[in-house]
Order: sequence, then C-alpha cells, then structure tokens
Amino acid sequence: MGITSKHNRYCGKGRFWQLLAVAFVCALIATACGNDSETGGTTDTTPDTTSTSSAEPDPTPALSGTIGFIKGPHSAMEAEFQEQIIADFKAQVAPDVNVNFSTYDWPVHVAELTTLFASGSPPDVQYLVDLIYPSFAEEGVLHDMTDLVNDPSWAQERSKISPFAWDLAEQQGGTWGVPVLGAVYNIFINETLLEEAGVLDSWDDSYASMLAAAKSLTTDEVYGFASRTSAADFAWWDWYPYIHNAGGDVLSQDWSECGLVGQDVVDAMQFLIDIHTAGVTPAIGSVDNQGLFDLFAAGRIAILHHETPNIVSLNENPPDFDWSVAAAPPGPQGNTVMGNFGILGIAEASDNKEAAWEFIKHWASAPQVGRFAEQVSLQVVRTDIINDLFADNEAMRKVQTELVPRVQGLQPHPQILEALQAAWPVVENAFRGNLTGEEAIAQMCAAIDGVLAG
Amino acid sequence: MNEIRSATSTPQLTLSLEEHRRLRKRYRRRTTLTAYAFLSPNLVVFVAFLLIPVVWLFVSTFRTKGVLGPAEFVGLDNWRDTFTSPLVQTSIRNTVVYSAMAIPAVFVIAMVLALALNAIPRGGAPTRVALYVPTLQPAVVAAFIFTFVLHPDFGVFNFALRGLGRDPINFLGDTSLALPTIAGIEVWRGTGFWTMMFLASLTALPNELYHAAELDGAGAIRRFVRMTLPLLRPTFYFAVIFATIVNLQLFDSVFALTDGGPVNSTITVSLYIYRSLFAFGDIGFGAALSFLLVITVLLLTGLQTFLLRERK
Repeated sequence: MGITSKHNRYCGKGRFWQLLAVAFVCALIATACGNDSETGGTTDTTPDTTSTSSAEPDPTPALSGTIGFIKGPHSAMEAEFQEQIIADFKAQVAPDVNVNFSTYDWPVHVAELTTLFASGSPPDVQYLVDLIYPSFAEEGVLHDMTDLVNDPSWAQERSKISPFAWDLAEQQGGTWGVPVLGAVYNIFINETLLEEAGVLDSWDDSYASMLAAAKSLTTDEVYGFASRTSAADFAWWDWYPYIHNAGGDVLSQDWSECGLVGQDVVDAMQFLIDIHTAGVTPAIGSVDNQGLFDLFAAGRIAILHHETPNIVSLNENPPDFDWSVAAAPPGPQGNTVMGNFGILGIAEASDNKEAAWEFIKHWASAPQVGRFAEQVSLQVVRTDIINDLFADNEAMRKVQTELVPRVQGLQPHPQILEALQAAWPVVENAFRGNLTGEEAIAQMCAAIDGVLAG
Repeated sequence: MNEIRSATSTPQLTLSLEEHRRLRKRYRRRTTLTAYAFLSPNLVVFVAFLLIPVVWLFVSTFRTKGVLGPAEFVGLDNWRDTFTSPLVQTSIRNTVVYSAMAIPAVFVIAMVLALALNAIPRGGAPTRVALYVPTLQPAVVAAFIFTFVLHPDFGVFNFALRGLGRDPINFLGDTSLALPTIAGIEVWRGTGFWTMMFLASLTALPNELYHAAELDGAGAIRRFVRMTLPLLRPTFYFAVIFATIVNLQLFDSVFALTDGGPVNSTITVSLYIYRSLFAFGDIGFGAALSFLLVITVLLLTGLQTFLLRERK
C-alpha cells in the first residue's frame, strides 16, 4: 500500500513535471515562431522599402527618429551648450529628429567608447579626438564618411575647413569624421612676474633664455616653470613642441619605426631634462593637471604649459596679475605649437546615418561651431570665421590667429596612444634626473618600436 | 524482496523486483531533477556570468582583437608576451611587493587593536565604530583624503613637516615612496575590517582555558603565543587567503592616486590588465594576463592552504 500510494503521489508529481515540460516546450515554440515572424517581417519589409525607394525616389526625405550624440565635456556647462545646438538643429534642420546627448569622461574615454562600440548600439554621432579615433577606424566601428564629405552639395562648406585638419581626419584610406575643433596647448605667462624679473621680452627667445628666465623667476613662493609630467595628465602635449621643433616625432615619416632621431631631438630632450632638474618646477609628479593651473592662477607659477580652455577661467576670475598666452621658444628646425583636434564621426552601427550626417553638418556649420568654440575657449578649424570669433577675448584671439597656424598635430596612427603611454615612463624617469637626453631617447625608441612590433 | 512483499497486502499491488528498480530509478531521477530545478536560478547566473565569460576569456588568450572587430588566432603569442614583457614583470613585482607590505602590516595592526579592544572593559563600541569608518570609505574618497594629507604643496602632513623646518616629502611622486604610500593607505582602509574580524574570533575563544592557563602561571605573552594564535588558526586561514586574493587584485587606489606612475612604480597586474583591455584594445594579451593573475592567486592560495593546514 505504501509503495502504491507513493507511486500514485509520484505519478501526480510526474504529471506536474510533464505539464511543466509541455508548457516550457509550448513557450519555446511560441517564442521561436515570434522570432521567425519578426525576422521574416524584417526580411520581407527591407526589399519592399528598397524597391519602393528605388522606384519612387524621394529627393528630400523627411528625417525622423532619434540619434545619440556623445562627446567629452569641454566645459562644466557642456550639456547646456549642446542643448542650444540641438535646439537649433530641430528648429532649422530636422524637426522630427531627436538628439540624445551624453558625455564621456576624458580620463577613461577610450574605455567608455570601446564599451559603447562593443555593445553594438553606440551613439550615432561621436566626438573623437585624433589620439584615439584611428584605432576605432582600424577596428571598423566608424563609418567611412568619404562619400558624405565629398558630396558636391557640401563642397563649399568642406572647403572652409583647413586642409591640415582634413589630413588628420583622413587616414587608412578613409575619412572618419568632420574636423570641428582644436585644442591648442599653449603657455600661460605671468606677465607681472616676468616684467619684475626683466625677462618679459626675452624669455621665449630660445630654450636657453627660457631656462635662464625660469631660474631668475623662481623664489620660495614661485616656481619659474612648470609643465605636466605624468601620463595620466597627457603630459606629452607639453613635450611635443620641443620635439617637433627639433624635427623629430614619435613615429618616422612612414610610421614604420620610432621617429625620435637626430642630435637635435636628443638636445631638445636634454633641455627638457635640464629645466626639470634645475629646481625651478614643482617636484616631479607632485602636482596634477588642475593643481598646476591653480598654482598659476594663484601667482605661484610664472611660465606654465597648459590648455586654452583655462582662458575662460582666467577671464571669469581675473587673477591679481597680468597674464598672457604664448608658445614654446623656437627650436633648431621649427617653431611649432602642439594641438590636437576633434572630429565628429558616425558609428558604423548607426541605423540612422542620414540624420547623423545632417546633425554633423549642422554642428560643424559656422554659427554653431563658432558659438561653441567661444563658449568653451577652443579653437576652430574653419578658416572663414576666425576673424569673427573672440572679439572680446584677447588671449583667445592670439591663440586662434597666431598659434593655430603653427600647429603641428600628432600622427594619427592606430597605436599612437599605446606608443606614447609605453614611452612616457622613460620621460618621467628622465625628468627626475635619472637619464641623459641620449639615454632617454634611446629607451623611448625601444618602447615605441616594441609597440609597433606588436 | 521478502520485505517488499510483506509490506504489500494485496496481490494486485505487489511490485516485481524489476518494477521496483524502475520506480526507484525514476524516483531518484525526479529527486535529482527537483534539486537541479531549485539550483537552476543560481546555476544559470553562474554559467552565464562566470563560467562562459571565463571560458571565453581563456579562448581569447589565443587570439588577438575580438571585441570591436573579428578575432584572429595567434597561438601562444599572448602567453609568450606575458612572460617576456618587462612591464608585466614590473607589474607582477609591484603587486607582490605591495601585498608583502600591506598584508602583514594590516594583520599585525589589526591584531594589536583587536587584543586591546578585547581587553578594555568600557568604550569599546565607539572605538570599534571609529576604527571601522575608514573601511567604509570608497577608494576614491580615501584617495582624496590622502591627497590633502600627503600633498607636498598643501598636504597637512607636509605642512607640519615644513613647520618643523623639514623638507616636504613627495609621497606619491617619488618612485621609491609611491608604492609603500599606497600600501599604507590600503592598510588604513583595511584595519577596521580585520580588527573586527579578529575581535569577533577573540571573543569566541573559551575563557575557561585562559583562566586555567593563568592559574598555571602562564603570562600574557605565553597565553597569546601558545593559546590565542593556535586557536585563531581557522580565522588566520580565512584571513590570509582572503587578503591575498583581494590585495593581488589591487586596482582602485592605484587608478585613483597614481595611475601606475611615477615611472610605472605603482603599476599593478590589475591596472595593466585594464589598460590592455580597455585603453589599447589588446584583448588577447589582457586575457592572458588575467589568467596569469588567476593562476597566481590559485597557486598562492594552495600554498597557503598547505602551510596553514591542521597538523595532527
């Protein structure tokens, strides 16, 4: 009896599991049928749409839908500034297109963008700097915009963007975005201190005069000179002009090997080591990016390598000294300025590339990019609006008119960031006085060649 | 067989041996299925979010790329690079040196504090709270706090040093001081946790043994060495393994405070994995490095298990 009753109970349990299994199988079948019908629907619809559009082409198709736009912040009010551009876009170009704006964090933007692209549904439009976009282009996640930017209807606008900016956006046989903004790495000088030391007119005549000026300016309270020194602060921006002025670059002209060659490059490196070991700078690695600028704004650094967006800060909170912007002194083979540039690209995975392209054209148009550049103190690469910008901002006018034309940007190689990060600890070590210029250049080249070798 | 037949009163309900075996098999199968059905929610999560990613990661060690573009098979290249790259060796050395500094230091400090808290008759609760507060600080908050303490220009510590006529110390910018400084910060963060852990174990020890030992004339040090330490062996076993696993994965403090600098003096294996995977998109190399870390943790855990095992 016991066994029988148990048997019956097990049969009841068995019934339960059978019903559950049947329900599960039914659910699977239903799901599979649903997917099939959806897939089938898509497959069926797509050719219809294509055939319809080819049979009855609409010359001015109404744009609609939602596109995503992501950008690193250039201001604490970035979202507000972007909303202005987006509002104008809706009002003037595409009323039925919604633009979702979001920002990435600069210190981790490569990781954020990698994750977004890997997700398969990245924002349609991205603001990408020349340091990182080549690796994304190489991976095939950016849309080649060659046909779009060469559209005859946009030719006039295209011609207003500087050729050197297009050179930075056209790599690996494609065009990966529309150049819109530039960030020049300038020098801030405390004119009051320099005048008091009697070096205001001579400090930037040569490297030697800059070192001498830094020494004469240094006191218990003031550092004569400072530049960024850590990779976390992208310190290579401040290092680049001296190397460019010596005729060198990270990569050779054909990008096949290290380009830090020649005695002038070694001498430039030695000068940078000398100025960092002369006791005229804050202790190496002791002050971060923002800290350096804060020290300058407090009158405690006389000559500071930094970035133009800080001009906004100095204009809004004027320090109690006169200041100005400048470039590094001339070297034996040039008098360049470092700058890096941002392009607006389209994700290959975007399913609304038409709207994305319209938005990029709108963003890159003179009124929009000009207004934004003024709002955040960045430089434009359009030649037609240079004279109209920064009318009330003397420092920015100087940057835009005197420094931007001298810009020599970086080499947009897919591994340029990795090469710089691999080589930079050598520079940090050298700035601590542990290496000569010759040793530093040799070790940097070994690191760079190691990256290129894969 | 006889028992079964005796248990059945009517001939119609009598089960043959074959039937009984079949039913018993079915019963066991159903019981097993029921168990798996209850385990399945956790099993699904385990398989989906741990097992499959780990297997995928292992496969990735033999490939390059694979996140943004198609993967390419490269054989053992990533493993070879892992063992030959000077930066990998630097990151492993930093990680081991850091662990060797931080783990013993936090254990000694926590044990001393736990013994003190166990001995004091009053005021234990507020002291425990005060000790535990640093543990609650996220690494980024701790990083900010110590920036204002250690900064050579405006840090409180260096301000005091200058007041005493001494030169300021560049704790995080000096290649020889940066790693010990980070170890110190992590010890500060971890002391509260380990103090509570040791205190909980100490309070659970039988008082009778200590009274007996005291009556036998054993001093405090002798009681600690001969009784407390052996009795805390299970706690130490857990503590050493847990602390090793956690510290070998050091990332957040380094990322927030030094980003591996200066001159790679604080780069750790986890930070290098992060850079390889997310900054350089070198998935295969990052995966190989990740597996190296996992293997290292497993080996160290095995060694510790062997050394701390109960001896008869």
